Amino acid sequence: MLAFMGRSIIQKVVTLFFVSVISFLIIHLAPGEPSQIDPLNPKFTPEMVERMRTEFNLDKPLHVQYMLFYKNLFTGRIVSWRDNQPVLGKIWERFLNSLPLFVVGTILTWTFSFPVGIRSAIMRDGVYDKSATFLAYLLISIPGFFFAYILIILVVTELHVPVIGMETFGVTSASPLVRIMDRTWHLVLPSILGATGGVAVLSRYVRSQMLEIIGQDYVRTAWAKGLSSETVYYKHALRNALLPFVTMFGMILPGLIGGSVIIESIFSWPGMGRMAYEAILGRDYPVILTLNFITAALVLAGTLISDLLYMVVDPRIKL
Amino acid sequence: MATTANPVDRMGTDETHMPPSRSPWAETWHLLCKNRMALTGLVIFLVFFGVAVAGLTVTSGKDPILDPARVRLQEKLRPPFSAPKTDSLRSEELPALGIYILGTDDLGRDVFARMLQGAWVSLTVGFVAVGIAVGIGILLGGISGYYGRQYIQSGHILFWLLLVLAIVLAFQKILSAAAVLLIVAIAGWLWKKRHDRRVSPLPVCLKWIALPTMQVDTLIMRAVDIMLCFPSFFLILTVVALLPPSIYNIMVIIGLTSWMGTTRFVRAEFLSLREQDFVAAARALGISDTRIIFRHIMPNAVAPVLVSATLGIASAMLTEAGLSFLGFGVPPPHATWGNILSDGKAFIFDAPWLTFAPGVAILIVVLAFNLFGEGMRDILNPKLRERN
Repeated sequence: MLAFMGRSIIQKVVTLFFVSVISFLIIHLAPGEPSQIDPLNPKFTPEMVERMRTEFNLDKPLHVQYMLFYKNLFTGRIVSWRDNQPVLGKIWERFLNSLPLFVVGTILTWTFSFPVGIRSAIMRDGVYDKSATFLAYLLISIPGFFFAYILIILVVTELHVPVIGMETFGVTSASPLVRIMDRTWHLVLPSILGATGGVAVLSRYVRSQMLEIIGQDYVRTAWAKGLSSETVYYKHALRNALLPFVTMFGMILPGLIGGSVIIESIFSWPGMGRMAYEAILGRDYPVILTLNFITAALVLAGTLISDLLYMVVDPRIKL
Repeated sequence: MATTANPVDRMGTDETHMPPSRSPWAETWHLLCKNRMALTGLVIFLVFFGVAVAGLTVTSGKDPILDPARVRLQEKLRPPFSAPKTDSLRSEELPALGIYILGTDDLGRDVFARMLQGAWVSLTVGFVAVGIAVGIGILLGGISGYYGRQYIQSGHILFWLLLVLAIVLAFQKILSAAAVLLIVAIAGWLWKKRHDRRVSPLPVCLKWIALPTMQVDTLIMRAVDIMLCFPSFFLILTVVALLPPSIYNIMVIIGLTSWMGTTRFVRAEFLSLREQDFVAAARALGISDTRIIFRHIMPNAVAPVLVSATLGIASAMLTEAGLSFLGFGVPPPHATWGNILSDGKAFIFDAPWLTFAPGVAILIVVLAFNLFGEGMRDILNPKLRERN
């Protein structure tokens, strides 16, 4: 176990190193430089551009830039090129904004997909299963931004509640109850949108997992013993079908920082996804690279956690 | 399984209980006809393909029948099925079909013509991107699965290093040094080849060339792991934003960032197929590796790959629409479903057809691809196949 952990941690650190190199190369070898972002701006004299290049180390060779960047990243001194604010602080602030979306979205996903998937599997090829399957494909196929606009039209014209942004402008002076309700209303649509794709995919997965387990010999034995269908489905089948999903908790981790660029830009939600979008528009390399690095680290941590969880949960697996 | 006839009956009508003798294609077609959702998906896909090809011929060329770029400012935001005001338009400005089937946008352009033009764009983006991804996936997955246990020798690494160095030097305009490096690399490679054929031990001072470093399989799988660490939409967005806007860039980038699944998949197929008896038999007959790979292993591995490619097309089309929506997609004169929708969002309450026409079109086409792909996956999966 310890040997496995040691080996995989080393492997993941090496992977992370290559990710950092590749993302750095992609960004820096692409045509165009941040100093050229606004060539028509009269304030951008050649001297100014030169000063910017020196300030941001852009005049140094690539490997020196790389070393400087990651040294600054690990000492937490990395600053955004747009406003000279520390990047980690900015990310933390946006992360706190994205967190409620993520939490509500994840809870919705996991609470809806299991009952739907299990029921589909039990009633295989019935009307319920067919319609749930079709609905799942519909939700997977609908472009997120189109669905968002349909929901916005519905909610705004029928319910007359504001949906754009994190809170209504000027609501800060209202009573706490009004403010809490306001925040909740603003949270509903984006988190439902974030959860739809997840519900569709996860419920299909739960269904196929359940179907596989229901076909096993021990389930047939359970039926043959004359157990009630609740006992068979929920005690014998479901508990075994749950195994792969335990590992999925590890996979949630990267979603923490991902945010959704499209949904957050539609709803003007000042979260991580929107921050990434703004950084890309402004060629704010430190922010882009830091976000990329943190995401990659979280993906790797997630796979490690899911491997370990699998070992804890499933005694058949020994590494 | 459902028919439990008594044994006497069964003996009498032996032929009816034999499995039907059908070719694999006919069998697949038979199962496809029974899966109504997959069949619908296939039909919609064929219709969409026809529409896209027809749309390309109708909307392109010097004097297209339906001109997607014709601006009629006096005909702004007309609703669907409205007739043009004939008194204020010149005769060549009239829509060819007599009415605006899907209305007009904020510049008075015919949305129907723009949708037709966009259909072809969506189709090519989906197919080219997935073609690139599947090509890389089959190549790397095949190498990894078939030659995976061989070691990369330090000589190989040296060769590639020299090659890369030569290319870098060539880009820096130091052509003579680049040429020298290139010649040294190729000469070394050829010498090693000849040496291997003679099966004589390498001279002591060159022993290190044949030093094994790591397995091919390890290298490719680590590359897959590295690529999987990148948040894909964010990566695509970054690269598309940095490169000059062009439809080809988008296809290539979507392709280059989505080959990992196919690679893993093809590798697994190759790993299991290469241990099968028919491959051992082929090898015993002295058939060359290329022939074994392309004639014996590939046909068995390709069906599931095509299924995942179908699903990949759906997601590539969604990605393209998303990029266009964010304003990083196909540059403006060209209409795509994503940027029609993106332009239309400003008029969502006044002209909802600008949002709904492309949105519903994307939804239907992507849904068709998903239904067809998933249906084929069920059909090709013998575990889920019901016996009949």
